[in-house]
Amino acid sequence: MISLAGRDIQHEWGKYVFTGIGLGLLIGVTLTMAGVYRGMVDDGKALLDNSGAELWVVQKETLGPYAEPSSLNDDAYRSILAVQGVAQAANITYLTMQVRSDERDVRAMVVGIASGEAGTPGWPPYLVAGRQITRSHYEAVADIAAGFALGDRIRIRRNHYTVVGLTRRMVSSGGDPMVFIPLKDAQEAQFLRDNDAVVQSRRRTSENPAFNRAGVPGLLDAVITSQSRNPFVNAVLVRLRPGYASDDVASSIERWQRLTVYTRPEMEGILVGKLIATSARQIGMFLVILAIVSAAIVAFIIYTMTLGKIREIAVLKLIGTRNRTIASMIMQQALGLGLIGFAVGKIAASFWAPFFPKYVLLIPGDTIAGFFAVVVICMLASLIAIRAALRVDPADAIGG
Amino acid sequence: MKGLPFKGRTMALVAVLLALLGLFAFVALRSGPLAPVAVTVTTVTSRSVAPAVFGIGTVESRYRYRVGPTAIGRVTRLLVDVGDRVVAGQLLGEMDPVDLDERIRALDAAYQRTDAAVREAELRRSFAQTQAERYEQLLAVRSTSEEIVATRQQERQVADVALLATRAERARAGDERAALLAQRRNLRLVAPAAGLVSARDVDPGTTVAAGQTVVEIVDPTSLWLSVRFDQSSARGLQSGLSTRILLRSRRGEPLPGRVARVEPRADAVTEETMAKVAFTSALDPLPPLGELAEVTVSLPATANAPVIPNAAVQRVDGQSGLWTIVRGDLRFTPVTLGASDLDGNVQVRSGISVGDRIVVYSAKALSARSRITVVDRIPGVAP
Amino acid sequence: MTTGIRIEGLTKRYGEGETAVDALTGVDMSVAPGEVVGLIGPSGSGKSTLLKCLGAVIEPTSGRMILGDDVIYDNGWKIDDLRALRRDKIGYVFQAPYLIPFLDVTDNVALLPMLAGVANGIARERAVELLGALDIAHRAKAMPSQISGGEQQRVSIARALVNRPPVILADEPTAPLDSVRALTVIRILHEMALRYETAIIVVTHDEKIIPTFKRIYHIRDGKTHEEVGEGRALPGADHA
Repeated sequence: MISLAGRDIQHEWGKYVFTGIGLGLLIGVTLTMAGVYRGMVDDGKALLDNSGAELWVVQKETLGPYAEPSSLNDDAYRSILAVQGVAQAANITYLTMQVRSDERDVRAMVVGIASGEAGTPGWPPYLVAGRQITRSHYEAVADIAAGFALGDRIRIRRNHYTVVGLTRRMVSSGGDPMVFIPLKDAQEAQFLRDNDAVVQSRRRTSENPAFNRAGVPGLLDAVITSQSRNPFVNAVLVRLRPGYASDDVASSIERWQRLTVYTRPEMEGILVGKLIATSARQIGMFLVILAIVSAAIVAFIIYTMTLGKIREIAVLKLIGTRNRTIASMIMQQALGLGLIGFAVGKIAASFWAPFFPKYVLLIPGDTIAGFFAVVVICMLASLIAIRAALRVDPADAIGG
Repeated sequence: MKGLPFKGRTMALVAVLLALLGLFAFVALRSGPLAPVAVTVTTVTSRSVAPAVFGIGTVESRYRYRVGPTAIGRVTRLLVDVGDRVVAGQLLGEMDPVDLDERIRALDAAYQRTDAAVREAELRRSFAQTQAERYEQLLAVRSTSEEIVATRQQERQVADVALLATRAERARAGDERAALLAQRRNLRLVAPAAGLVSARDVDPGTTVAAGQTVVEIVDPTSLWLSVRFDQSSARGLQSGLSTRILLRSRRGEPLPGRVARVEPRADAVTEETMAKVAFTSALDPLPPLGELAEVTVSLPATANAPVIPNAAVQRVDGQSGLWTIVRGDLRFTPVTLGASDLDGNVQVRSGISVGDRIVVYSAKALSARSRITVVDRIPGVAP
Repeated sequence: MTTGIRIEGLTKRYGEGETAVDALTGVDMSVAPGEVVGLIGPSGSGKSTLLKCLGAVIEPTSGRMILGDDVIYDNGWKIDDLRALRRDKIGYVFQAPYLIPFLDVTDNVALLPMLAGVANGIARERAVELLGALDIAHRAKAMPSQISGGEQQRVSIARALVNRPPVILADEPTAPLDSVRALTVIRILHEMALRYETAIIVVTHDEKIIPTFKRIYHIRDGKTHEEVGEGRALPGADHA
C-alpha cells in the first residue's frame, strides 16, 4: 500500500510547506509569548541572584528595596556586621533614572555599590568586558543592554562617569539595565538635584532667620552643609557565614536592630508575587487567548485542507477505500503539518527572541509542552476533518 | 524523461525538510539552556603592580586669615575688595569708633589735670621740705619749740604722701588713656600677612558682631588640596608620596603633587581618611578655591607575583576565587588576593600559579557543571 | 450465466408516508459477461437511483440483485462488506475521469489492487498491463494533470478494470467528448468487455453512441423495458 498522505504532500509540497511555515509563525508567536512571561519572572530572579545577597535588610515595615522605597541610615550596616552569623554586610542604593551619554538617553537602574573588592554583596558577580570599579568616584559598570561601550562618558545627575566594565543580564525587575556606581556618588545622585535647585535651596536657608543669626557666625554654613549630605541608603545586603540558617540570622537582626529583614524565598515571593504579578497575569491571560486562537486556526487550516479534497475522498470511498485508510491519510497530513509548524515556530522564536527589548526566555519545558500541545491540537483538528470526510456519501461521486 | 519532474519534486521536499530539521537541531543546541557558555580566557603572568590610591579633593589655601572686629560695631570703611593683593600690616578698613575719640580726649584732659595735681603736690612737698629743714635748724639753735618742728615734719610727710597719691592718679589716668587708645587701634582692620583678599562679606555701614569675618585673606602661593580617600582603599597612604592631580577645569593636563600631610583625625561618619596634597609645580593661572580635583597617589610598586584582572574574581560559597581551566574542565579555585592597581590588575598571594589559564569574562554565571566554549570576545560586546 | 449481473423487481422508495417518492417501481435487468448494454432515460426517470443501487452505494427498498453467482441483495443486503464489494466486484467509469490528482497514472490504477491487499509491485504490473491494453502505457509515469482528457478517461477505464470486476457501471462516459472520441471510448469498452468477460452497463443519452448498442434498456417512471439496439459497427481506427 502506498502512503496516500505522503503522495498528496509531495504533489502539493509547496503549498503544504508554505502552510506549515505560516502555522509555524503563529506557533512561534505563542512560544515567544510564553518566553516573555518566563523572561519577566527570570528578570526578577536575576535581580536577586546578581545582588549576591542571602538577606535583605530594609526600612522597618516596608517591602523594599525593590517593591517599595526604603531608607536606612548608612551606618546601620556596622551594627548588622556585629550580629552573629553575618559574614558580609554592604550598603546599597537603587534608583531608576535617566542616564545620558553624548548620543542617547537611557532609562537605567543606578545601583550604588559599597567600596570593597569583587565579591562584596551588590557588586556585579561577573563581567563580559572591562574591569570592576577601582576608584571611589566617577567610575561606572554598565549592562550592555544600556548600549554603552567601554570608555564612554555618561552623565548621571550632575557628575560624569567613565564606563570601565560591562555586564550582561544585570537588569531590574522591570527589565531596565543596571548601571553600577560608587555608593557615595549614588547617594549624592539620589539626593542632590540640579545646580539651580541647590542654589535655590541655599537661598531659602539663608533667608530663614532661625539659621542665619548674626550673633552666631558659621551657623548658616553648618546648616547648609548638613542639608547637602545624604546619610541614607536603600538597603543593606547581607551574606552569611557557612553553617548559619538565614531565618535565624534574619530574626536576630530584626529583633535587635528594629529593621525588617527578608530572606531569599521571601524576596522572591515579594518580587514575583507582588511586583510583577499583575504584568505576569496580563501576559498569562494573553498567552491563553493566543493559544486558543492558534489552536482554532490550526484546526481551521486542517479542516479546510481536507474539505478541498472532498471530491477525491468521495471517489476513494466509492472505489472501495476503507474509512480507516482515509482517516489515517488525513491525520498523517495534520500531524506532518503540525511538526513542520512546530519546527518553524521554535526556530523563528529562537531567532527573533534576542531582538526583543526585554528578556525572552525559551525554556525546554515550554518547548516540550508546546510540542505536545501542537500534536494534540493537530490530532483533534484532524478528527473534526475526518468526521466530515467520513460523512461524505460515495454516492455523491456519482453525479446527477 | 517523464521521471525527472517527479523526482525533482521529491528532492525539493526532502531538501526543505532536511534543512528544517538541521535548523531545529542547530537552534536547540546553540541557544537556550543546552548551549555552552561563551567565556574568554587568559593565562596568568607574573609581574609587579603599581598600586595607587584615588581620592577627590578641593583646592584650599594653607593659610586663611579671617579679619574682623573684636567687639560689636559698625564698619565705617573698607579699603580693599575681593581680588586685591595686600601686604602685611596694610590697612584694610575701619570700624566705627562711635564715642571712643571723645572719651580719649576726655581722658587726655583728665591726664593733664592729674599732671597739674602732681606738680602742685611737688611744689607743696618742696615747700614743706624747706619749712621742715628751717625749723630743724632753728631747733638746733633753740629758737623754736619742738611742737612746731614736729608739725613742720608732719606736714613734710603729708606732702610726700600727697605727691605719691597724685603721681599714682596720673599714672592711672595715663593707663586708662592707653587702654582706650589700644581699643581705638583695634578698630583698624589690618592685614596680618601678605596675601590676596578672597572674600569681603560685609559692606561699609553694616553692623557686625564680635568675631564675624569682614575680610578674608588667603595666601595664594600656598594653595594645596584637601583630599578625602575612602578608608578601605587608603592602605599605604603616607606623607611624601608623589601624586597626580587632575583639576576639574583642566582635565587634559595632569599636575604633579606630593602628599604633604595625612590628617591624624579621619571622618568617622563618611568613613574617609583626609590628607593634604601640595602642588609641586607652579600653577598659572591659579585655580579658584573650592575647585574639585581628582588625586591619584602612587604607592611603591610591588614585587613580582601572579597578576589577574579583577573581572576574573568570583565569589562562590562564601569564598573568593577564580574559575580555572584544568585539562579542559572548569574548576573553582579559591585564592587570596594581594595588592591591586587602579587599572583592575590584582596580585594573587596564593591559590594559582603563573601559567594557569583562568576565565575572565563569561556570558552567563558559571557553575561547576557549565559547559564552556572559549571565544575571543563575548558576543554582544562591541570591539 | 456464470458471471454478469441480474436484477429482479428492484424498487426504491425515498422518504415515508405522504412525502414518499418512488424512484424505482420495479426494475428488471440482466447483462451477460462480455456484453455492453445501454441504459437510457430522461432525467428524473430514476436513472441515477438505479445506478446507485447497482453500484451498491444506496440500499434498495425491495427486489433482488445477483452479481455473478452471488446474491448480493434480496430484500436486504446479503453482503457484509459493501466496500469490499465495490472495490472488487464493481468497476466505475464516470462522466469525468475523477483520477486522484496526487497519484501518477500507474498508481491511480494500481491503487485498487493495493487496497485489496495486493503487493505494490504486483499491483503496478497489473496496472501497466491494462494501460498497455488501453494504449496509454507510454503515459504510465505522468500525473493526471499532464495528460489529455481522452487519456484520462482511458486511465479511468483501466482503473475500473484492474480488479477484474464482473460488472462495470459507466455513467455518461462520453458526454464531454466529441463524436470521434466518444466512439473510441465505446469501442474500447466493447473490447475490454470481451477481453475480460465483464458485463458493462452504460448510462447515456448521447445520440452518437446509442446506435452502437445491441441491447438497450429504457427506463421511465421507475420501470425498465428492454429494446433491441442497432448494434452499429465501430470504426477500428484509434484516435486518442
